[in-house]
Amino acid sequence: MLTARDQIVDALDIESFLLCESEKEAKELIAKLMQSLGIARHVIVSLDFNGPGAHFRVRAYMNKSGDHYTWLKK
Amino acid sequence: MKILLAPLDPVHDAGLKLIKRKLAVLGYQCVLLPPDITVEEIGEAALAENADMIFVGRTVGYGVEQLFQRVKEVLTRQGVFGKVRVAIGGMAVNDELAKALGFEGGYGPHTSIEEIHALIERNPDLARHVTHPVKHKPEFPFPHDYEVKLPETKKYLDQIVDGILDWVSDKTSPGVRRAQITESQLQEVHGSVENYTALPFTREYLAQCDRTVADFFQKNICPSNVRQITQDEVTAYLRRIDAAKRNFHPRVLQHGRKNPLVFIQYGTGCPMMDGMHIKISESWGADGVLHFDPAWGARTEGLLDGFLTNAEDGTPVTYANLSLIKHSLDDATLWTVRAHRGLNTPEIAVLSGFLGADMTKINIGYGSICGGTDPARLTVDGVEAMRIAVRYKMPFDIPTNEELAGVPPHKAFAGMLIMAQLGRRLGAKPILKPLLCHGPYIMVQGLMEQNYVDYNYAKIRALQTIADFPIWPGEPIGFMTHDEEKVKSAATTALHAALCASLGVDAVTTASTDEAFSRGPITSAGRAGALHGIEETFRFFGETDIAPGARVKDWTEQLIADIDKTLKAVAAAPSFVEALYAGLLGNKEDGVYPGRAGKNSIITTPPPKNGRLGLAPVPVRRKTVPAGKASRPVAAAARRCR
Repeated sequence: MLTARDQIVDALDIESFLLCESEKEAKELIAKLMQSLGIARHVIVSLDFNGPGAHFRVRAYMNKSGDHYTWLKK
Repeated sequence: MKILLAPLDPVHDAGLKLIKRKLAVLGYQCVLLPPDITVEEIGEAALAENADMIFVGRTVGYGVEQLFQRVKEVLTRQGVFGKVRVAIGGMAVNDELAKALGFEGGYGPHTSIEEIHALIERNPDLARHVTHPVKHKPEFPFPHDYEVKLPETKKYLDQIVDGILDWVSDKTSPGVRRAQITESQLQEVHGSVENYTALPFTREYLAQCDRTVADFFQKNICPSNVRQITQDEVTAYLRRIDAAKRNFHPRVLQHGRKNPLVFIQYGTGCPMMDGMHIKISESWGADGVLHFDPAWGARTEGLLDGFLTNAEDGTPVTYANLSLIKHSLDDATLWTVRAHRGLNTPEIAVLSGFLGADMTKINIGYGSICGGTDPARLTVDGVEAMRIAVRYKMPFDIPTNEELAGVPPHKAFAGMLIMAQLGRRLGAKPILKPLLCHGPYIMVQGLMEQNYVDYNYAKIRALQTIADFPIWPGEPIGFMTHDEEKVKSAATTALHAALCASLGVDAVTTASTDEAFSRGPITSAGRAGALHGIEETFRFFGETDIAPGARVKDWTEQLIADIDKTLKAVAAAPSFVEALYAGLLGNKEDGVYPGRAGKNSIITTPPPKNGRLGLAPVPVRRKTVPAGKASRPVAAAARRCR
């Protein structure tokens, strides 16, 4: 049985705005956020800190080229 | 038929006014009620007007479900609902919601007048061209006369082309020989992606290959990061592709213009991931796709075989991989396979042509000074690849990504024009592919400090002044202007596409929104995002052009003069190959140097009588891999050396 997560072609992006005091804090919060969502590995695609916080997009690859893709499972 | 249009908003009734105007054109009698009325008044008006149908509109989205439930109750109580057909619409309404609430149908912000017409007439065929559009593959490139218009430029180009053809006339290479072997074998192929029939090969083929290729076939050892895809994976993938094809409704990005066609480049490393990216790109409006192979493939003598996936950028070129990708394409999608830069250029051209690619990509200059291939070797192989392209009726494009290494545009363009004139002489349809970029030379010279428009404008205008060849900026447009932030990235791609539309070019190759992101693979969502941006930008400009700034005229003239000067120097060199070694089309100071792959591999032969190197055809014997063999590596099972 395929889960919704299995149906993701390649990556899951999360974009939001975090209230924080610095870029460093933003990165730490993003890591905690992803951990709380049960996503072990992630990469920050873009992060722009200014004023009240950081506009960010973080990515977790579910299927990379060469993998045995979850969306091809029976 | 009389239609009552009733806005349930205090002021906003633009949607119903628009529907009224368009339905009137179609011959319907429409009565538009004023805004700020009650549901009871709508029912009374319907009875008084003896309306056949009511469209009730509600712009505001919140509470819409409860509101329309009440509309239904009131109209039922008045004896209207059931007697008069009622459709509902608004920002938060769609056909599904309307039908779930018991109405005739619904319309939202993206509903076309054709769909409303179909709803009124209860005839879905009236909107079928909108709801199920058909996209046809265009004749591409669009018509051009392929003439060099400036006499002096033409003179130099012809001299250089004469020299190239004379220089290669007594030379061949392992790459040319492999292409001949492969071409003779391909005639025997009768397999399909479901029942893959592997290419046979001969000891002679292996004798022309590197150890990597020999080890693959003889010892079943894959290059690092490459693995064989199982038949089970292929079967599951084909089911996915069939589903994608069933649910596919083409989109057209261009708004009122025929061109530019929009291409994306793929080469995720895996033909199945490529196929999924292709289906997503087609669904979001891409007109064509380009296959990119891995860098190591260009520096390896010989091609592998079977369904192979690579864990890095670039999808291995094999007969099976290309077949799988071809199978995945929509009939309307133009397909290009890059052949141009490495040691397998002629062989890839053969595979591409045989498998029905619409185009290929060949640039001897770029492949020699930027792609790592020896200039002499690639000149021999490149000319042969052009001849193959002609045989298979494949136009080829000529990329000028030398600019990314620092080569000035006039040198890159001079090399491109030489390839175009050479291709034309051989009977091909060459396509100029200038790079629209914020490249190193342009940065250092400060040519784009004020904007990205003017210098790009001058580059295209210079080429259009020199010759009437198809122009297809790439690769991708806006190179080095992208940002990791998705919206900025989509915006720069889309604006470069709009500039290209203004300049009347034939096509563009576009980036995904992940173009500047280098810490992971490009994502399919990034492709859709960029195509959304292009669609909206084409809609914004329509047929209105971007006007050039004051500096464009001088820059255009300067580029033309510098291109001429470069061509004159190349024409005066002992040979085109010597010119490449000497750096006349780009040197170490620019940031490029002649490649070494394939150095000293040229074989000098007596000139052939018929113009082609006539070697005996290779006898073939086929082996077939049946479908459904569970988890069996296809290539290794299929290919055995004879």
